Amino acid sequence: MSEHSFSIRINEKELTAQPGQTILQVAQSHDLYIPSICYHPNLGTIQTCDTCFVQAGGELVRACSTKAVAGMTVDTLSKPVKDAQYEAMSRILENHELYCTVCDNNNGNCTVHNTAEYLEIEHQKYEFREKPYPPDNSHPFYRYEPDQCILCGRCVEACQDLQVNETLTIDWSRERPRVIWDNDVPIDESSCVSCGHCVNVCPCNALMEKSMLGEAGFLTKLPPPILEPMVDLIKEVEPGYKQIFAISEVEAAMRQARIERTKTVCTYCGVGCSFEVWTKDRQILKIEPTHEAPVNGISTCVKGKWGWDFVNSDQRLTKPLIRKNGAFEEATWDEALDLIASKLTEIKEEHGPESIGVIASSKCSNEENFLAQKFARAVIGTNNIDNCSRYCQSPATAGLLRTVGLGGDSGTMQDIETADLVFVIGANPAESHPVLATRVKRAHKLYGQKLIVADIREHELAQRADFLMHPKPSSDLIWLSAVTKYIIDQDWHDKEFLAKRVSNVEGYIKTLDKFTLEYAEEMTGLSQGDLIKAATMIHEANSVCILWAMGITQHSGATDASTAISNLLLITGNYGRPGTGAYPLRGHNNVQGACDFGTMPSWFPGYEPVGNSEIREKYEKAWGVEIPKDPGMDNHHMVEAIHKGKLKSLYLFGEEMGLVDANSNHVQSCFEKLDFFVVQDIFFSKTAQFADVVLPAAPSLEKDGTFVNTERRIQRFYKVFDPLGDSKPDWEIFQEVANRMGADWNYSHPSEIMDEAASLAVIFAGVSYDRLEGFNSQVWPVHKDGTDTPLLYEDKFAFADGKARLFAVDWTPPYMAGEEYDLHLNNGRLLEHFHEGNMTYRSEGLTHKVPGTWLEVSLELADERNLTDGTLVRLTSPYGQVKVRTLVTDRVKGKEIYLTMNSFEDDEAVNYLTSSYHDLVTHTPAYKEIGVKMEILEATGEPPLPKHNHRFGNRVPQISVRVEEKWQRPDFQAIEDLFGNGGEALGESNQAN
Amino acid sequence: MAKAIRQINKQIPNPMEEQAQAIGEILKALADNKEGILSALAILKNLREIGILDALHAIMENRTDVGVIAMQQINQPGMHNTIKNAIYLFNFMGTLKPEQLQAIMGGVTKGLDRMGESIKNQEQHSLWKLGKSMRDPEIKAAMTTMVEFLHGMGESFTQHPSQELH
Repeated sequence: MSEHSFSIRINEKELTAQPGQTILQVAQSHDLYIPSICYHPNLGTIQTCDTCFVQAGGELVRACSTKAVAGMTVDTLSKPVKDAQYEAMSRILENHELYCTVCDNNNGNCTVHNTAEYLEIEHQKYEFREKPYPPDNSHPFYRYEPDQCILCGRCVEACQDLQVNETLTIDWSRERPRVIWDNDVPIDESSCVSCGHCVNVCPCNALMEKSMLGEAGFLTKLPPPILEPMVDLIKEVEPGYKQIFAISEVEAAMRQARIERTKTVCTYCGVGCSFEVWTKDRQILKIEPTHEAPVNGISTCVKGKWGWDFVNSDQRLTKPLIRKNGAFEEATWDEALDLIASKLTEIKEEHGPESIGVIASSKCSNEENFLAQKFARAVIGTNNIDNCSRYCQSPATAGLLRTVGLGGDSGTMQDIETADLVFVIGANPAESHPVLATRVKRAHKLYGQKLIVADIREHELAQRADFLMHPKPSSDLIWLSAVTKYIIDQDWHDKEFLAKRVSNVEGYIKTLDKFTLEYAEEMTGLSQGDLIKAATMIHEANSVCILWAMGITQHSGATDASTAISNLLLITGNYGRPGTGAYPLRGHNNVQGACDFGTMPSWFPGYEPVGNSEIREKYEKAWGVEIPKDPGMDNHHMVEAIHKGKLKSLYLFGEEMGLVDANSNHVQSCFEKLDFFVVQDIFFSKTAQFADVVLPAAPSLEKDGTFVNTERRIQRFYKVFDPLGDSKPDWEIFQEVANRMGADWNYSHPSEIMDEAASLAVIFAGVSYDRLEGFNSQVWPVHKDGTDTPLLYEDKFAFADGKARLFAVDWTPPYMAGEEYDLHLNNGRLLEHFHEGNMTYRSEGLTHKVPGTWLEVSLELADERNLTDGTLVRLTSPYGQVKVRTLVTDRVKGKEIYLTMNSFEDDEAVNYLTSSYHDLVTHTPAYKEIGVKMEILEATGEPPLPKHNHRFGNRVPQISVRVEEKWQRPDFQAIEDLFGNGGEALGESNQAN
Repeated sequence: MAKAIRQINKQIPNPMEEQAQAIGEILKALADNKEGILSALAILKNLREIGILDALHAIMENRTDVGVIAMQQINQPGMHNTIKNAIYLFNFMGTLKPEQLQAIMGGVTKGLDRMGESIKNQEQHSLWKLGKSMRDPEIKAAMTTMVEFLHGMGESFTQHPSQELH
């Protein structure tokens, strides 16, 4: 029993309760069932369903909204309680027809079904009445059936206060209330971002995935002329619901024999949502999240919930391809693998192992990345291995390694949720990390969390921020340093923290001298008042989390700007406590894991340096080989080395480098110079077009493995399907290539690879598949005994002396394309598509919502150049050109324009414009530093974004479902009045519920 | 020098080969299940001869129409009563205690035996004798149980007056 816990009595049993818990939460924590249809652990109290009435201190109260107090006596079984619950359920069934056996939601987890069964509902007390609204089938992914809607408001709560998209409300003023989207428009035309929250929490079949309809049940595909009379017949002859429930339970049990439920981890960003995939043969019925999921609970985003069609796409690579006489020929695995082994061996012998490079994938598993670096180091004999973190967060990692010692987020989502102040710099989490953004939006909306956003584009979080800063592009280091200096000048810095836990304090502070408010104002365009405001907000917050992404890291001075962020956190003591820390948001599902498991030129798994002889010996001993002592080439080095003729061969897997690396023309021309190029992917990518051998790989749903999310959380995913056609999991392919080159690897399951990694890398010592079973997870560093570390630096920083280091940095001016390139081009991801869209365009629904790329231009620029929605323009930079259509929006200002990156077309992809200039420390390309000029090709045309995209919707913000409006309806009779004081008047009037 | 190429020459599966492979698989399955297949064929032969296969085929072909007609026929008040009564009877059977039913059915059997005897012998007791038989312990026992039965029935009627009204 913890210090503050107390006990209450429920049904004569003494139960422990925690402060703040409701009666329902106390009961649930002791596995004591109290009916509760509208309550959901991820949503909290809604108070619409009334099925949780219990007696506490002799009064009838809602268990979901009544706080437990010490010594309270609760009864959940007495007659008045049963009567009240029965009445509540009866009112619900007035709104919901029970035809469970022929309902696609009858899968054993239907809350309405299970509650009605528990309450032993025998008959319809209030006759079921249809609502005067047709079903809404407009949305590509889900439908709303008002007739089945019990108006519990879970969906509204989820939309308003968990996802915080603020689209759904219940209109209580109508004669028959219903859920509405925006101001009552068809779902497809609303502000709905298709995140799926509402469908995930619906306790019945009112909101359902269209992919489930007619597919989940044995009888649910019957045509309406048979189904409808069948429902009538069952209702006519039913002796009571008990028998109906018995049949539906049998049917639900039968369904489980046919529908597989497999846990997986999402591959669409670094947040690491986990959920079950429900499948019937190779058909995906739905994504079903659960409140057990450690990161997301029941939350999903549009891609994670709906974007899995690519797995069964007929465009998938299913056979190895070999380039012969200017075309690719299908080949057997033996032919392809033999060719790879002989070619790589030949090149290695002729030009040495340093003439071969490996590019690893941030989409593949930890085990696959571990094997890839083992293949490079132990089989080829080179440290030339890198992954796509080089394109995004390497500067953040480097900045953190300089200052606090570990290259990962300091804490977890829980810390972000509970911080007093969240400061988002150069990141668009609402689109790039949607579920993480929901936690910020929720804390900001409901719990008074403060939000500052610094960005050149007014994205969703920027619109919601308490304070929005719009600095000049690439000037972040200056204003960050100025804010830090101002805080010190005001004597607001955390002197105790600095004295005890940080080194180089004095030396660092001296280097801030030049960053005066005046200098910052001149250089960044931010007013002194704005800088003081930001400093003051940081000072006034007890705990601060800073979140950043590509807006910081894709610049010439990216590592230094990341360092400046970490310095600011150190100066203000915002490390090592709950609710504090640095959060470089990882873009891909396993960027963190790819780095953690050693696909980097200078690091073994677990950030153990290649240059350290002791560590190298550890690996040499384990693998029985010699490993070169010098760090290898990173992505950028490799491209340059190919151009110089030093690197002859490249083995690349799961990476669209030809489009994703900056300056595509330059990168693609280097591919042309390779002697031998192997590309391993699930689709025939742009990069694959340059390959000599293309190998068909299997995506996450077709293999076992683990990923590490942005929090450093390791999570398992399980095989759902067999690999399509002849495709194979990447780890199996590496093993076969390695063995053909003389290795003797015998991994039969990825768990064995993880065991090997855990035995070698200190920070994974206690990681094992057993401990990661199901929805269990571990946040590294993991000690031998399995204890993990959700919050870093509580006692010491990750340096030998345990102290953090303030690291002096200076500003690097950005690359400027030249005066004629008068527009600043920003670019990035968007909600509906993943990256260039190789996977997400295979989904008809996602393509319906966003058919292609678009260029955002400001109102001012549109005015000046006569641009409108749909104008076709050519953008030209010194490196290439693209043709795209414009969208006029106030999200961008002045001469700053924004191109979405969701294209793999040669004349649209943004990286045909970007340069090869890069961060000085990590060689991450300066994608965000490019100037372009614009010509109009067609004055008008089809707008690039359809009107049925959420960006054109009208949100309707409110707190929760406004149950008070229900209670104020003239036809509403409070249940506690009917049964609470022995009342007898059982109203038969129309109930609002 | 490897230029970007998009041309993929797929090995178009030879339809003849694919068919031959499929036939091979079918033959193997047939051979592996020889006994079962032969019995099934015999059943099919009979079903065909008596015309059931044709009828089933016709039903499958027009399954929606047939389904609608069937539902229309089933969805009638008379049919509702039949189904309901069947369900009640089924439920009723479930509520009976087997040992009670055994005792009662034993009694009924014995009673029927004696009744049969009496009909066979064309016995006709005088009123006096009928009256006197009320004193028999067997008759008394049977009468007592009948009266208790009536009590119970009455109790149910008075406690749940609307039980049968859904």
